[in-house]
Amino acid sequence: MIKMIKKKNNENEINGGSFLKVMSIFLVICSVGFVGMILSVNALMREHDKELTSQICGLVAEKMNSSIRYMTVSVQDMAGFISARQYEDLDQLYSDMDEMPSGGFISMGFVDSYGTVYGSDDEQNEFRKWSFLLTAKKAAPVSITFPYRSSLSGQPVITMFSRFTYGGTRRGWLYMTYPLQEIQNLAQMKNASDGTEIWLMNAKSDNTIQCAGKNQFAIGSWANALVSFKKSIDEEYQDDYLEWKASMNSGNEMDSVNYTIDDTQYTQVFSQIDYMDGWYVVVRSPSSAMSSTMGQFRTIVLLFTWFILSATLIMSIVTHRRDVADRKILENLSIHDPITQVMNRRAFDLAAENYLNKGIKSDCSLLFIDVDFFKQVNDQYGHDSGDKVLVEFAAAIKEFFGEDSIISRYGGDEFLVMVKHGDRHKVDEQLDKLRQRVHAIEPLNRPEDDTFRISFSCGGASSPSDSRNFDELKTCADRALYLVKKKGRDGYKWYDPDEV
Amino acid sequence: MKKYLALLICVVMTFCLCGCEKKEENTQKKYKPVPPFEALGEIEEGRKNIYVIVKDLESSYWRVVMNGAFAGGRDHDCNVYLSGCYTEADWKGMEKLLDEAMKAGADGIVVSPNNSVALSDKISEIHENGIPIVLIDTIANTDKYDVCYMTDNLNAGQKAAAEMITQLKNNGNDTDEPLKIGIEIGAVASQTVNERLAGFLQYWSNKAPDKWEVISDIKYNNGNNEDSLTCAEELLDYEDIKGVYGTDNVSTVGLAKTILADKRQDVVMIGFDFSSEMETLIRSEGYVASTMVQRQFEMSYIGIETVLEIIDGKEFSVKFVDTDITVVSKNNIEDERVRTLLDKDRGIS
Repeated sequence: MIKMIKKKNNENEINGGSFLKVMSIFLVICSVGFVGMILSVNALMREHDKELTSQICGLVAEKMNSSIRYMTVSVQDMAGFISARQYEDLDQLYSDMDEMPSGGFISMGFVDSYGTVYGSDDEQNEFRKWSFLLTAKKAAPVSITFPYRSSLSGQPVITMFSRFTYGGTRRGWLYMTYPLQEIQNLAQMKNASDGTEIWLMNAKSDNTIQCAGKNQFAIGSWANALVSFKKSIDEEYQDDYLEWKASMNSGNEMDSVNYTIDDTQYTQVFSQIDYMDGWYVVVRSPSSAMSSTMGQFRTIVLLFTWFILSATLIMSIVTHRRDVADRKILENLSIHDPITQVMNRRAFDLAAENYLNKGIKSDCSLLFIDVDFFKQVNDQYGHDSGDKVLVEFAAAIKEFFGEDSIISRYGGDEFLVMVKHGDRHKVDEQLDKLRQRVHAIEPLNRPEDDTFRISFSCGGASSPSDSRNFDELKTCADRALYLVKKKGRDGYKWYDPDEV
Repeated sequence: MKKYLALLICVVMTFCLCGCEKKEENTQKKYKPVPPFEALGEIEEGRKNIYVIVKDLESSYWRVVMNGAFAGGRDHDCNVYLSGCYTEADWKGMEKLLDEAMKAGADGIVVSPNNSVALSDKISEIHENGIPIVLIDTIANTDKYDVCYMTDNLNAGQKAAAEMITQLKNNGNDTDEPLKIGIEIGAVASQTVNERLAGFLQYWSNKAPDKWEVISDIKYNNGNNEDSLTCAEELLDYEDIKGVYGTDNVSTVGLAKTILADKRQDVVMIGFDFSSEMETLIRSEGYVASTMVQRQFEMSYIGIETVLEIIDGKEFSVKFVDTDITVVSKNNIEDERVRTLLDKDRGIS
């Protein structure tokens, strides 16, 4: 029986162990799957961001270019308008200048065929300082200066030239100066995503001037790509950047590159500017700026997935624990007597036989104990009272024999106790104590004047002296019990073959 | 069960935290606190109070600016109060001084912003409060100021490149032979430095012989004197290097010292400002060097004059006035015009 119980315990442990193993494997698989999912989602998002950012940068660059083109069209239109008016000399034109339409530009003036500048003194100084006559003469039909700081506004500007005719066949040049800010205004880039920066960049010198960015006050700031881009880009992307730069130097109209700076992924696109020799619009945007919504969605999906997995895990653990508890109850019911909580007959037979047959140490005493007149207890005081007597009786047996014995309720009022030693004297002492204790049991519902007292009769047999066989030993004990009952109960006796 | 729940909460919190972006703390280095305003010259009741704020109270360049402010106050009959920072990087200190000048009831402010971007907001605020504000030496990235007197650094950079080409030719370099020039710059965030670099490269890329190449490894010292020497040494180690360009005083001093120490007479040096190191290099036999000398005395002197005129209601048609530079080399260092400029800058006259 003990073996069986141990076996069952082992089974439980094995079951528990296998459950833990299964759960561990489940957790490992889920964790690996989860990490894999995060990595693949991140990779997909990065790829998506890259493509999306590249497209957006391209669109922004094209929009910026369009706004510059729009300005050049305005200058051309104005030059066409002047040509159509067929001015004889530019003094007349200069005096009419106030009547001409204005919008966006900060100053306008003319250069005649001799190179005389019709503008303010400060503008004439600027023409000299920057050699703008050379730029004007390159107008075909438009030319644009590099960005410079205007005396009038103090802000970075570009000046556009367009040819016109006057005095019959003479050629002059109209100039209009636009603040750099106007390019951004025309492109309506204020709605560009956070972190998007726009520069004008010169391919030959690597000079850049900022047109738009997070900080509105940084607009108009000069920098050099060799310092601001190349030196800050992470080492592994340096070659990609150089390829992108080579593409710009070779005269390509548009190209893009992806790189990281301090773990932030950027996409950078250039687009050639018409009429502004060697200058490009460069747009850079951090890929993450394009995917903040995607990022939130990813977090929600990941948290939901993790919640589902966690719920599954908790449910499995709860179910398993409930299962183990149920199994314990069932096992308990199959081994123990439900009223007295000592072993039932079937379990006792197995445990006793197992003890006797294991052969290492089979010395033992088998006691057959009967509650005297138990039927009378049930009849007179009720079955509740009977059950209480049985519970207290079994508890008393456990108290005196428990640690070193196997106890069972063998029948209605019969208890069988296998004491794991053959010392009859010691057993006698235990039985005497049991006797006193049992006498003190008070049945329920017993009237005060009722003198009925609970007692027991016990027959004992020893192994190996009486028998090594459990059934024979049981028979011996039963015979001894019979004699005790015959002599008037409330006593005990050991089996004696001579008396039988 | 509690253990499982704790584990679950930990994991969920970890994932939640993973979703949070790491944000850098917005901190600025601690600098020596800016001093209170002090009177520059005589203070008299009933005169206009002009507050002058300079980038660096302890540099020789800015002492010339202070001389100009003193002379401006003396000549134009106004009270001048002066303060500034102890390092050009301390823009927070300058922002504090601008606030103090406003609170003190300044009639006008002459300031040299040490951060064109970060101080734009404060400068705009002062202008919008109706206080005349004149910028000197460095412009702010806003149009909300009155007038700015400064070197057009883009143009100065171009002139430096032109001087480099001329001096390289003078030093016997053949336009058909390959050579390299190196560049050392100060603080990367400085607009002054960036414009001088942009102007230089703009001119160089259009006018320099095709075989003359700029080393793409542009060195920056962030305004640190020791780093400027290291950068100079690294540049001079390049094979075929025949010219070096320093965009600011710190870079120029570092390059000049290193060229003299290494006896690199084969290397042409173009720099900015007139330091004793640069003067020594220019005057040393066998060395070829030029420096772009600004007119910082005029910047503050005219700044005081202009702010008083604005207070009196005069309107200016321009917002930006280029005070120009003078190229000083062995060829003209003893010219009277140059001597006058340099002596004034040293506060002698």
